[in-house]
Amino acid sequence: MRPVGMEGWLEGALPVMQIRVKLFATFREHLPPEAEGGVYEVTVPAGSRAGEVLLRLGVPAGTPGVVVIMIDGRHCPADRILQEGDVLSAFPAIAGG
Amino acid sequence: MFGWRGRVLRVDLTDETIAVESVDPQMARDFIGGRGWAIKYLYDEMDPKVDPLAPDNKLIFATGPLTATPAPTGNRYMVITKSPLTGALSCSNSGGTFPTQMKQAGFDLLIIEGAAKQPVYLWVHDGEVEIRPAQHLWGKNVPQTEVMLLAETDPKAKVACIGPAGERLVKIAAIMNDKHRAAARSGVGAVMGSKKLKAVVARGTKKVALARPDEMRELSGQVRAEVNRDVKKGSALREYGTAYVPEVTNEMGILPTRNFQTGRFEGTEKISGHVLKKKYLRRPKACYGCPIACGRDTEVDDPKYGGEGEGPEYETIAALGSSCGIDNLAAVTKANYLCNELGLDTISMGVTISCAMEMFEKGILTESEAGRVLRFGDADAVIALIEATAYRRGFGDALAEGSHRLASKYGHPELSITAKKLELPGYDPRGSKGMGLLYATSNIGASHMAGDVAYMEVFGVPEKLDPLAIEGKPAYTKHFEDIFAIVDAAGLCVFLAIRYLFDQDRRVNPTRLTALLNHATGAGYTVSSLLEAGDRIYTLERMFLLGAGLTKSDDTLPRRMLEEPLPEGPAKGHIVELDQMLPEFYRLRGWDEDGVPTNAKRAELGLAC
Repeated sequence: MRPVGMEGWLEGALPVMQIRVKLFATFREHLPPEAEGGVYEVTVPAGSRAGEVLLRLGVPAGTPGVVVIMIDGRHCPADRILQEGDVLSAFPAIAGG
Repeated sequence: MFGWRGRVLRVDLTDETIAVESVDPQMARDFIGGRGWAIKYLYDEMDPKVDPLAPDNKLIFATGPLTATPAPTGNRYMVITKSPLTGALSCSNSGGTFPTQMKQAGFDLLIIEGAAKQPVYLWVHDGEVEIRPAQHLWGKNVPQTEVMLLAETDPKAKVACIGPAGERLVKIAAIMNDKHRAAARSGVGAVMGSKKLKAVVARGTKKVALARPDEMRELSGQVRAEVNRDVKKGSALREYGTAYVPEVTNEMGILPTRNFQTGRFEGTEKISGHVLKKKYLRRPKACYGCPIACGRDTEVDDPKYGGEGEGPEYETIAALGSSCGIDNLAAVTKANYLCNELGLDTISMGVTISCAMEMFEKGILTESEAGRVLRFGDADAVIALIEATAYRRGFGDALAEGSHRLASKYGHPELSITAKKLELPGYDPRGSKGMGLLYATSNIGASHMAGDVAYMEVFGVPEKLDPLAIEGKPAYTKHFEDIFAIVDAAGLCVFLAIRYLFDQDRRVNPTRLTALLNHATGAGYTVSSLLEAGDRIYTLERMFLLGAGLTKSDDTLPRRMLEEPLPEGPAKGHIVELDQMLPEFYRLRGWDEDGVPTNAKRAELGLAC
């Protein structure tokens, strides 16, 4: 699906929060150029869910079983509500050795 | 027979005799093949108290019923023997093309007994077997050996050989095949070296007979199509190999760092898959018959660390990278090339060096004893010590014994991060507790491939398990041990099997694998009889271990994992509550409180003595 993108998401006087996003393996290509050292520092609406942020970046978080999502290194479902300062990460659900 | 060749090649290097034996069809079915047949032969024929480096130890090369068939990834073999590193079993797995050639040459199993007086190699080609002199090859490294052997046998042949490490009975020596693939763990290379067997060269053109060839081809084709569809969408394994995994384990706080002192490595971004892809990757590489292609054909253009070969993959990046505090991927890749050329297990090599580094930094090991200053982060030290280990030079002679003997020699065995004397792989169990139980109960010692619960705890395949919970882990660990035994025995690669041949739900049942095995062999497995065969293999291996003198007290983990909480990261404060998982594990396995299979369990599996 085409990523909706982050522009236009923050409108008006919404409360916002800062989070950091890391995307691993093949999802790395969804990190925008301003991400440094593999970390994307971004402002999002307060109360955003993990899956929403990922979808806006082009990560297919809407399809179950395809994406593994973590907040601060702990696995969570896509509908988890993010908090200020969270480190959101995601990688494709396959395995390694 | 179908799928199976029904032929075992037995070579006695002491008497220089060669025999071909038929196989009991009931045994074939009950033990599936590969790893399963091998333990049955070892258990029935060999005293488990044998000295692993004595001629009485048997070295078995074992293919499975699906090796050299149209099954995707039907290309694996295993090396089974008693381990000189651990005193337990060795079950080392490798892919490439050698296994297919061996099976096509006409044999399911190769059993090597005794020891030659002078170096020899075996040349196995379409049913013919020769023991040939190898004095001119002794001392050559793996690539040199291969070039010379192909010139004097057949350019289309495939080679499994040892390097200088195996020749010198280095206890962490590997058997390399197809130059860059490794049956690495547990010192199998040393056993081959003790028999003065430099190589097995195989060339085979005889296709394997199949019970239901049309159904076999249809199901195999279906699976390949599914894999190709997924690869098109973007496959991390095709694009990065397993080299992307440090990003994941570091985020989870379980990436082995500085000898497993912590699980977060500040240099992770510099040694991960995207760097490998950008700077050193020539192309992805596939083993025979594999649609995934997780292998890495690589080249490093660097004044100090230049070279070419294959890899590194995840375990190597953890053991020779983060565990040694190395954040230079060129250096890690060079270290990998060296291990391949000299024939060494990268996991045990890396974790043995990191053990030495910790001892040096704590003042337990002196500069004079180590032959140099030995700090975490010193890539040149890692490179130098790999060579020293392979040739048993100076301090390398101590490293060649593995980290347990090394650390014990200096009075600190607790700094050896091993289970049953086998160095831990790249998942700190304090943040992945099912892996902790696996490391403690695997029949070869700390291995991620004995039943990779990390599939579910780390990668979420087929479903996600909480890595920090202990509830339910005994059942999952047992199940993964049994299903990995099945995949190993069948001759397939787990990367494809777990994702495409097992039900993708919590029960992880081998529904499609059962069908594939039946199409190949006509053996009439059901899901439950196949699972039972996995349990049977695992239990017989356990009985071998007990006969070798191992006990419940060996079902344990390093003190660090049991008593020192992880200092940082998402699993901060955690240890492995092994004592809370082990009793239930024994119970589920049908073993008594001492971890001994009960008479009832043995009878159930047809293993009564």
